[in-house]
Amino acid sequence: MLFNSLSFVVFLVIVLLLYYSKFLNWTNKKRMLLLASYIFYGLWNPPLVILLWISTVVDWTAGKKLAIENNQRKRKMWLLLSMFVNLGFLAFFKYGNFLLENFTTVVNAIGFDFEALPMDIILPMGISFYTFQTMSYTIDMYKRKIEPARTFLDFALYVTFFPQLVAGPIVRAKDLITQFYEEKKATANQFFWGIFLLTIGLFQKVVMADTLLSNTSDTVFGSDKLLHGVDAWIGTLAFSGQIFFDFAGYSTCAIGIALMLGIILPDNFRYPYASLGFSDLWSRWHISLSSWLKDYLYIPLGGNRHGITRMYVALMLTMLLGGLWHGAAWTFMVWGGLHGTYLILEKLQKQYLPFKITKWNGIFLAFITFSCVNITWVFFRAREFDTAWSMIKSMFYMQTDGEKILGSFDVLKVSLVVGILFICHWLMRNTSMKAVSLKTNPVVLGVFWAFMLFLIIISQGSGEQFIYFQF
Amino acid sequence: MNLKLSLTIAIAICLFGTIAWELYWRSQGYYPDVDNDEALFAVQRNRAEKASNSDVILIGSSRIHFDIQLDIWMQETGIKPIQLAYPGATPLPVFDDLVNNTNFVGTIIVGVTPGLFFSSTTTEKRAYRSANDKVEYYHDQTYAQRINHLLSIPLQQNLAFISDADGVDAIKLQFLLEGIQFGNRIEGNDFPPFPNFADISLDRNLRMTEKTVTDTSFARLIKNVWSFKSTPETPPREMSKDSVMKLFTKDAKIFQERGGNLVLLRCPSTGYYRKKEENFYCRDEFWDELLKQSGAKGYHFEDYLQLKDLDCPEWSHLSGEDADFFTTEIAKIMMADKAIPFNPKTN
Repeated sequence: MLFNSLSFVVFLVIVLLLYYSKFLNWTNKKRMLLLASYIFYGLWNPPLVILLWISTVVDWTAGKKLAIENNQRKRKMWLLLSMFVNLGFLAFFKYGNFLLENFTTVVNAIGFDFEALPMDIILPMGISFYTFQTMSYTIDMYKRKIEPARTFLDFALYVTFFPQLVAGPIVRAKDLITQFYEEKKATANQFFWGIFLLTIGLFQKVVMADTLLSNTSDTVFGSDKLLHGVDAWIGTLAFSGQIFFDFAGYSTCAIGIALMLGIILPDNFRYPYASLGFSDLWSRWHISLSSWLKDYLYIPLGGNRHGITRMYVALMLTMLLGGLWHGAAWTFMVWGGLHGTYLILEKLQKQYLPFKITKWNGIFLAFITFSCVNITWVFFRAREFDTAWSMIKSMFYMQTDGEKILGSFDVLKVSLVVGILFICHWLMRNTSMKAVSLKTNPVVLGVFWAFMLFLIIISQGSGEQFIYFQF
Repeated sequence: MNLKLSLTIAIAICLFGTIAWELYWRSQGYYPDVDNDEALFAVQRNRAEKASNSDVILIGSSRIHFDIQLDIWMQETGIKPIQLAYPGATPLPVFDDLVNNTNFVGTIIVGVTPGLFFSSTTTEKRAYRSANDKVEYYHDQTYAQRINHLLSIPLQQNLAFISDADGVDAIKLQFLLEGIQFGNRIEGNDFPPFPNFADISLDRNLRMTEKTVTDTSFARLIKNVWSFKSTPETPPREMSKDSVMKLFTKDAKIFQERGGNLVLLRCPSTGYYRKKEENFYCRDEFWDELLKQSGAKGYHFEDYLQLKDLDCPEWSHLSGEDADFFTTEIAKIMMADKAIPFNPKTN
């Protein structure tokens, strides 16, 4: 089920009515939320709920055993079982075809004539999110960082909680499971703020991403022509804006919906396009994934504890795997590799060419960071290397005979939208939406809110899927 | 922060704005209607799963969609057909789907619009892809999409601004913005405006608007689209006779061998289209050959005195009134031939 659909509106109203009804006690409210979450997921493809159940049962069992087991070897076995099941799901459903294709290429390259039929595997929505979330529980249990969930119901709800089930934020057990122990009820202000966040999220998705930017991005990346530099840049900027509004929109909706239930989810985006460098970027973009990768991949790989070279290797490996997390294609690896390279170069700059960031050079640095990020988006969006390389050549004016495919209005529209997006991020980078709204006159806030609602309605979103569902 | 006040103001202004938006579009001549989209197609396609051997399914392009009026057919035969034709599309993917993915052994009436029917057998071509997309949507449709469609129907039926129309009839914000043109960065799109000229109901009955019949300048807009950069002497851009014959006859054999009844129908055309069809799809090489190879019964409008001179206001489809007449007559002819099932209890 999608947040930007009529069925979700009805679903949410029913859930809220039941949640705030007097005839259900807290345990039954949690049961209702769990059932609602399975319905939320199952309305897309019912059989794939079984994967959620398997993941839940395996990690619940592993967590329980890890809590009581003292034999280190057995503890490791329980952890490996959890990893095997979750990563096994990912390997089969998400990377099955990719692995097969690459295996075939390698086998053919060494002289064997082998042709494999592509496997017709459906990608379960949000599998990368819920497997990472549930794995964090068993890893934290293994490291004795957290207490086991008190009941199976609490744990199952943690794995399946519908607002963040299919596209995050990826929430840690200590931040979410404990919230299920006591009855939660949103205050009036929390409830209204939740509705406001839901409106902002839908506005970002339906109006900004789908209505204003997606078509330009699709036109440019779907073109098989050699493009003029302006068209290549505008298409890339359009995608840059689209993916931010799409993904941040989902996270904002998720946070808002959870807040309407009195549950607090962590921020996932903090104005990332005004980042001052790449370390800053990754503390602002998809925060829940970057902190997951840091805690469960970068640090176990050695982090910065074993010298500079090992740190760079760990950093690069983390970013490459982070790229692969987004999709089963080499283009995603390149995307991750570019970010890894940027991070290493930034560390070298800080070591050998340090300089102080002031308010004067800050916006310039943010602009440079944003421009470099845009280059990486080309590899993220293009499905083939040829397309990506052709786009890059156009962007750097290496194709003088590139064709213009975008009209003047498209160029102006994308430039304005992404330009305003960048300026807004810059102005907001040290504050928050909540802080700004506290200072805003309620009437002005109401008019702004109405403007967003009205544009959502007249956009008549056709229920476009969120980009990150495929990851 | 007084969020309650902000929310109240937001709802009040939004409600006011939405009502004003609706009234504006109604003042521009728009009225609530249903979208002829893949979700509406899927509802009818789903009916085919449970259809009995006395049911009739219509497939084809826009001509059979316009020219066979479902209620009139029901009056004549006592059976309400399932309408699976789609404008601008070849029936091949839908026929292939019905033959290979259902156990249907009733009657399939295939509307043959030569330019589309003989266009292609691959998704690289628009006419085939368009129909294939509908079939794929049906098979991939999620429960959430079904619920969304059901919930959207009352909105579509009551609000003029809820519309998926594109081109000159577009109301959706994205399409309105796409219509803004300035500067000469790229060559302008010189494709003529293509207004909607039919209304569809929930059972997918399509009927030409009265405006198309009575307003010749409006009908001229549609004619401009049909004859865009083309004359009756211009060869068709897409033609794939042999592969179409092969695919269609293969499925026809499977369908007939399991007891299905296959009927082909050639609906009227006039003016530009009639001449083009005479020039490039001569009857003996295409229609007669198709009947021969498929072994299906065939009905060509030219063979019937009362049908051969029917006029199409925009060269390709009948007015609502003529469609009623055509449906009545062709149903009678087919019944007399025992080519289609009928239910004497209800007709």
